[in-house]
Amino acid sequence: MSAKFPIPNPSPLLLFFTILSILFYLTPIINSRTLRTVGSSSHLSDDSSITYLWPLPSEFTYGNETLVVDPSLSLSLFGNGGNSAIVREAFERYRTIIFKHVGSSKFGMRDLGYDITKLTVIVHSDNEELQLGVDESYTLLVAKNNGLSVIGEVTVEANTVYGALRGLETFSQLCGFDYGTKTVQIYKAPWFIKDKPRFAFRGLLLDTSRHYYPVDIIKQIIESMSYVKLNVLHWHIIDEESFPLEVPAYPKLWKGAYTKWERYTVEDAYEIVNFAKMRGINVMAEIDVPGHGESWGVGYPDLWPSTSCKEPLDVSKNFTFEVLSGILQDMREIFPFELFHLGGDEVNTDCWNNTPHVKQWLDDKNMTTKDAYEYFVLQAQEIAISKNWTPVNWEETFNTFPEKLNPRTVVHNWLGGGVCPKVVAQGLRCIYSNQGFWYLDHLDVQWDGVYDADPLEGISDSAEQDRVLGGEVCMWSETADPSNVQQTIWPRAASAAERLWSSKETAPRSNARVLRRLQYMRCLLTRRGVPASPVTNFYARSSPIGPGSCYDQ
Amino acid sequence: MIWQSIYVVLMFQFVLVFGAYDLKNLNIWPMPESVEYGAKSIFLSKEFHLKTDGSKYPDASGILKDGFTRLLDVITANNIIEFNSKVDDSLLLQGINVVILSDSDELQYGIDESYKLLVHANGKQNYAEIEAATVYGALHALQTFSQLCHFNFKSRKLVISQLPWTITDKPRFSYRGLLIDTSRHYQPLPMIKKVIDSMAYAKLVKCIALAYCRYTGFSFRNTFFSKIMGCYAKKRGINVLAELDVPGHAVSWGVGYPELWPSKNCTEPLDVSNEFTFKLINGVLSDFSKIFKYKFVHLGGDEVDTSCWSATPRIKKWLEQKGFNESQAYEYFVLKAQKIAVSHGYEVINWEETFNNFGSKLDRKTVVHNWLGSGVAQKVVESGLRCIVSNQDSWYLDHLDATWQQFYTNEPLTNITNPNLQKLVLGGEVCMWGEHVDGSDIEQTIWPRAAAAAERLWTNVGRLAKNPKDVGLRLMHFRCLLNQRGVAAAPLDGPGRVAPIEPGSCYVQ
Repeated sequence: MSAKFPIPNPSPLLLFFTILSILFYLTPIINSRTLRTVGSSSHLSDDSSITYLWPLPSEFTYGNETLVVDPSLSLSLFGNGGNSAIVREAFERYRTIIFKHVGSSKFGMRDLGYDITKLTVIVHSDNEELQLGVDESYTLLVAKNNGLSVIGEVTVEANTVYGALRGLETFSQLCGFDYGTKTVQIYKAPWFIKDKPRFAFRGLLLDTSRHYYPVDIIKQIIESMSYVKLNVLHWHIIDEESFPLEVPAYPKLWKGAYTKWERYTVEDAYEIVNFAKMRGINVMAEIDVPGHGESWGVGYPDLWPSTSCKEPLDVSKNFTFEVLSGILQDMREIFPFELFHLGGDEVNTDCWNNTPHVKQWLDDKNMTTKDAYEYFVLQAQEIAISKNWTPVNWEETFNTFPEKLNPRTVVHNWLGGGVCPKVVAQGLRCIYSNQGFWYLDHLDVQWDGVYDADPLEGISDSAEQDRVLGGEVCMWSETADPSNVQQTIWPRAASAAERLWSSKETAPRSNARVLRRLQYMRCLLTRRGVPASPVTNFYARSSPIGPGSCYDQ
Repeated sequence: MIWQSIYVVLMFQFVLVFGAYDLKNLNIWPMPESVEYGAKSIFLSKEFHLKTDGSKYPDASGILKDGFTRLLDVITANNIIEFNSKVDDSLLLQGINVVILSDSDELQYGIDESYKLLVHANGKQNYAEIEAATVYGALHALQTFSQLCHFNFKSRKLVISQLPWTITDKPRFSYRGLLIDTSRHYQPLPMIKKVIDSMAYAKLVKCIALAYCRYTGFSFRNTFFSKIMGCYAKKRGINVLAELDVPGHAVSWGVGYPELWPSKNCTEPLDVSNEFTFKLINGVLSDFSKIFKYKFVHLGGDEVDTSCWSATPRIKKWLEQKGFNESQAYEYFVLKAQKIAVSHGYEVINWEETFNNFGSKLDRKTVVHNWLGSGVAQKVVESGLRCIVSNQDSWYLDHLDATWQQFYTNEPLTNITNPNLQKLVLGGEVCMWGEHVDGSDIEQTIWPRAAAAAERLWTNVGRLAKNPKDVGLRLMHFRCLLNQRGVAAAPLDGPGRVAPIEPGSCYVQ
């Protein structure tokens, strides 16, 4: 918990870094100090004591120099993973973000030269596979090249390209535009940051069934996720209202789309997955069975128990599981992420009882509807596992038949608190999305409620804690569409993102300083074109209550 | 196989010439002056490109080239297009040939924005044809063209259907404005850029007014931004009109120069008795004239509560010396500011209160900007002055209860029948005041209602629907198009910036 220099690491480069950073501390002209936000007093007027990084890195030190950054900042890549298009493209994106106010060259001219002209990225591994638990740690050094070092200026070092992406994001947040000199500046240099995520799974659910989102909007959302280091887009593709995705094996399924325009081709889905991967974000697909499947039957009415009773999917037919298998087979090609969400929530089994042929089947099998629900979920799990997927299911499956779930199952909490403790105690893994705090469509939950929720609440055993993969904020789309989705997501998703990224010691609870930082982050999002709502309004996505500065609202 | 079926369709070519009532299958917003179309289809080639054979416009600053690049961006943004399968050349559109008659790229009030757009059904080397008087007319043609293109989910290709197209088009009014207020809330640069982009989609808006004066940092920060914005807007055929709202609405000026306030506890309107006030206005307008090349400047003049002047002894004394009452001092201020603006080569726009109070004294080139209510334009033009219509009951976007139907049906020429007087109505402007609008909600407050006004301002009056119900589906379609282009346009169903009430398709909400 106490501030300390990075512990020397066996990696030679890190060791070199460490020596380098110690050199900085020994340099008397640089009056470095360390800061932890833990227990800080609330001198809000003393803005310089607040570190405007979101989410807060696990360890950092800073000084009191202001450095000017060259608009033609160059990139040097080293290490086994140094030849990565992922890093190069990210660098270009961040360059655009950082220098967007530095217009044509006549605005950016500076006679005095620049303090920062080069950004070095060292990536040790050339493995670019993006999976759960990929190493996202990084170190970031920002210092004036004062002759003491051979690699000074800006250096990001990471084991994987994805760690490098996180480091670049942090670097971009250190850069600010100075209106007086019209240059990009870094305050409080030199910076030394050593950072890693608290949880491997930091998700946002997007529901493209209740309302359709054009691919361009989904990309905007993915891009904005990367600004707060979220790393899983949980794509709730299909629900009872519409079936927008193409499934080549069963080409009539997307007849269940709202209109012929509101659909995603397989190629569009690939594009989304690749776009996300370039930003270090996995896409976890969901098909929510058997409860939320009414739209499947538009193309294949046989999947309905009957035309008057359309949900859940007909458990009695082999065809149902053939279609399910076909969908999973096609999706396996598109979604490389090892987790696949099979839903399983809110299953009202009345239709099964009320439909004669299903009822007959239940009787023949000597099953209650509850047994049939279990049967359906476990069948679906088997199919997913046979396709080399790890199944994720909503918590009702665990609540109803906890002992029967496949031991690889990841249980997705939503109904309330106290579920993950039970899940991990039983040896299963858990994702936390308590609807009281992390359902973004609950507009009456404020930023601090989101911030103070904790996936590890009630779990003290460290082995059990390890089984909590992380958490996810959920953007259900009954009353959200492309016109208001971003302001419903932001800034509250950023609240959760810090909870998921920063250690509990670094970011224990909401307070006035956190609010200040979040307001700053919200303004940063709007400056990047993300329409994030005012932070302090009672209702989410509501308009500012009156004129005023972004930083106060 | 797809090709065969399309061939079959091609055999049955027929051409429809639509009258005012035959708009059902046309999804173009705003509706062009004249449209003829058929029933054939064609694919866009992988190498779809721009040609300028026969054009007189050199495009030295790349306005046309960039406009074409943006066209490609918007039509390819949402779907992965399949280009690999072999398609017969006769089914491909190779590009667009743009012929521009003027070599100038000056963007000014009243430039010729007309264009003609042809998309032929056949031909070996088939190019769409655009002919326009100016590059800005050509940009409008590209916007129309972009609305003809759509992604076909079967062939995975970009398709134009209803060929052949013959479209001739020109705007009804030259001034089609959107006001954004960067003072009540700061609007980040990318938000303003997005608004400008979306304005171009709706063609509506040729002019954008930035309300400056209320902003504390107006002098430096905004002129700097304005340079960037002006360049960005010009490339899209959009003029930037700067507003300096004097003498009311200027509290923030005194943060930097407290002597502009009557006194510390009475900070508005600007001190009429102090010559420094006018010196500063002169300085600002001098700066403006270097940045804003539009022939108009907006000097505000609205909502002036003059009580501070009488309440401040020094100013009270000055009033007495001059023999002014407060309203005469208000007139003195406005007219003096007008003279300063004219000396910098500007024509002046003032809010209607100036006309309502001393209309006959205003500079004869003044454009009166209506906002308080309807019926003002008629009085203004009858007095020989020019007018811009923004009556708040129908064209104030911050009035969330004003529906898109109201925006659509608000007619700038109401009760003005004399063609000479009609010409004095330059157009209209929808106003996005920023009390409750910041970077988070500006787009959905503007759209789709501003688009409804856009058609009113662009489209020939004979083509406008008498009943807004007749254009509801087409506007819904345009709203979904805005969504596809990343613009957060709100559902039509309900008041301004309403959230969708329930799950459903974009095309029914």
